[in-house]
Amino acid sequence: MDWGLLLSSYGSVLTDINVILMTFLGAAGGVIIGAIPGLTATMGVALLVPFSFGMDLIPSIGLLLGVYCGGMYGGSISAILLHTPGTPSAAATVLDGWPMTQKGEAPRALAVAMFASFCGGMIGALCMTFLSPLIAQAALAFGPSEMFMLAVFGLSVIISISGKSIVKGLIAAFFGLIICTFGMDKTSGYIRFIPTNAHFLYEGIPFIPALIGLFAIAEVFSSLEGIARGEKSSAGAVNVKVDRVLPSFKDIKLIAKNVIMGGFIGTFIGAIPGAGGDISAFVSYGVSKSTSKHPEEFGKGTPEGVAAAESANNGCSGGAMIPLLSLGIPGDSVTAILIGAFVMNGITPGPMMYVEKLDIVYAVFAALLLANLCMLIVGCLGIRGFVKLITIDKKILLPSIMIVSLVGAYTINQNIQDVGLAIVFGIIGYLFNKHEIPLSPILLTLILGPMAESNLRRYVQIADGNAISMFTRPITIIFAVLAIISLIYSVYLNKKANKKEETPAEA
Amino acid sequence: MKKLIAILLTVTLVLGVVGLASAEYPKKNIKMLCPWGAGGGTDAVLRALCLSAEKELGKTIVVENKTGGGGLIGHTSIAQAKPDGYTVGMITFELQTYKPQGTGTITWEDYIPLCLINTDAASLTVNKAWAEANKITDVATFVEYCKAHPGEVTIGNSAPASVWHIGAGLFATETGIDVKYVSFEGGAAAVTALAGGHIEAVSVSLAECRSQLDAGNVICLGYMDSARPALYPDIPTFQEQGYDIVYGTWRGLAVPKKTDAAIVTKLEETFKKATEDPAFVEFMNNGMYTIAYKNSAEFSEFLAKNAADVDATMAALGLKK
Repeated sequence: MDWGLLLSSYGSVLTDINVILMTFLGAAGGVIIGAIPGLTATMGVALLVPFSFGMDLIPSIGLLLGVYCGGMYGGSISAILLHTPGTPSAAATVLDGWPMTQKGEAPRALAVAMFASFCGGMIGALCMTFLSPLIAQAALAFGPSEMFMLAVFGLSVIISISGKSIVKGLIAAFFGLIICTFGMDKTSGYIRFIPTNAHFLYEGIPFIPALIGLFAIAEVFSSLEGIARGEKSSAGAVNVKVDRVLPSFKDIKLIAKNVIMGGFIGTFIGAIPGAGGDISAFVSYGVSKSTSKHPEEFGKGTPEGVAAAESANNGCSGGAMIPLLSLGIPGDSVTAILIGAFVMNGITPGPMMYVEKLDIVYAVFAALLLANLCMLIVGCLGIRGFVKLITIDKKILLPSIMIVSLVGAYTINQNIQDVGLAIVFGIIGYLFNKHEIPLSPILLTLILGPMAESNLRRYVQIADGNAISMFTRPITIIFAVLAIISLIYSVYLNKKANKKEETPAEA
Repeated sequence: MKKLIAILLTVTLVLGVVGLASAEYPKKNIKMLCPWGAGGGTDAVLRALCLSAEKELGKTIVVENKTGGGGLIGHTSIAQAKPDGYTVGMITFELQTYKPQGTGTITWEDYIPLCLINTDAASLTVNKAWAEANKITDVATFVEYCKAHPGEVTIGNSAPASVWHIGAGLFATETGIDVKYVSFEGGAAAVTALAGGHIEAVSVSLAECRSQLDAGNVICLGYMDSARPALYPDIPTFQEQGYDIVYGTWRGLAVPKKTDAAIVTKLEETFKKATEDPAFVEFMNNGMYTIAYKNSAEFSEFLAKNAADVDATMAALGLKK
């Protein structure tokens, strides 16, 4: 590690007004893009890449990283306030963020999400600065069997996010796993379970339209039903007074452990190519719940749940940069686009970058730190405005959410059939809501199901059909053991929590 | 007399309008359909090309990513667009696989091919540690090893029936070796698995192997083009090593059938100039994309031969329905 160079690169980036301006603009844009369902950080970065061609490398990287970090946080705003994750990475934030809003704690939830995002992002950025080559080597050790077991470990979180009834959680999870099998088989190219003219389903159920349907549209349907039954449409006297834009010291103490754990989990999972913010947020949530002193409060609106999810998805952005810079391999969909931005500027990310272009590597680290800082500032400035969203009369809010959702479902592939699909998922989500079947397990399985399937089949192909041989691989064994522990322990916790509820006398 | 004047006037008017129509083209912005997602290789090449073409055309070209269905949706939309010259699209190698694979019915004959923009050859790239341990230094020693160890070597690619899968299949058929084909989520993921030693070889483009190649984690045994890669002149072609295999992916432009011939010519010229624009050339060199311009007639000829080759190899690989 070249400390002199590190310091001078950091100094030159953090004092360059052009870079600061671009990063700030990126972060502000990212927060907005992230908050709108259907517009993801990935999309924001993809659309901005052509604009960055004319710029110098570091300001353009600052702009793109600003969008990336801003988008990661932005997704939590709609997740908390509207029960609609703005990006897939914010799906786990809904679990506790929305109940907090229902309890009238929306400002507190937003502040916690912002603080956790910032800290997670900083942990990711610092890990990237100091541990990059080390983590990158570990990431290379993840082949098909390790990826499969990582997905299985991720799936073990289902019990944690199932709420009261494990059976209902499993209903949702199996529903998700079944619909994962629709579309083209990624090993043989065979088309499964869909009509041959349904081209839009060839690559499987499109994830973003499904997400929008299950959360945003289903929520609109449920609210409409409420209004039809005579509930008041105006929010009335909701407490949206924002006393402070940052969480209180007491809250910070409460969430410190979750934030630190989430930041590291996010960084590590982000560094594994093919696993991104969505998976890390769920895993961090599951781990936080299992290690919490009062796991029964998760899912009912605890700041710890919000902090665990948000710190992990932002830690992920630092993590995903690690294999990008040190191996030239993108860690997630955003970094896959960033790699293009580097190449356009005549720089090939990869191991040689650490040898030949160390100043640029350090400048990128600094830009990521800056991006997180900008995100914090945008968040602090915006929080009072965001909260007002829930005071809007539902007669205006609900149609607006519906329109934004349908447009969002269309934009991702520019395909009208995706809009129909979002509505179908809206109806499914509404029916599941009505029967108290949790929706998050469906999302988790939609993310992890294909990852588990294709990696398992890939491994079986490589190992000539001998799937059992994967248990000779150390990392695979570790994740298998973790999955078993997580599964047994979360069932135990669930039983304990339900028992506690049946005997409320102890309070 | 009046009648005659009327007829004459009408004829002049009609001719005038027709003449104006092509002379004034383009009157409005042009929509460019991309069957692949924003941020990918095809999208990047197309956007850079459009930036250069706009300078020629004097109108904005709006790139729209119409994705899904393994590119099938976008390819279909291009063929079905209004043939007024205001919708152009990028067609890619995958177009040749839909019909043989049975996923779609569309073929290159459903378009008017405008021009070929770029081709990227496949490569045979192997894990360096594995190659050194088994004394593999070129294509011949690789083939020898595969013959001595039938069914053991795994060649990674980007998706089933993808260009690189078929490339590996072509190589195996030509040399008579028995290998395993494993598909990953894109070429980058296959190269990651290769660098980590989870598989022995990949058959993806050289650009996708570049960073690992520079780092010395992998070595390229052969390049499936007729000339050596400009940035890596040390990598020999397959032809040099005695294997007559020239194979790779391609990207070109097409318009819907029935588009006016004058418009086709105009677009053909515009994009020819765009491919010669220094900004575009620099972009392509940086990204290791090979510019391979062919005009409409040459491109059609190329597509016909390519379609037949792909069909035959897919049949040999058992990918054909």
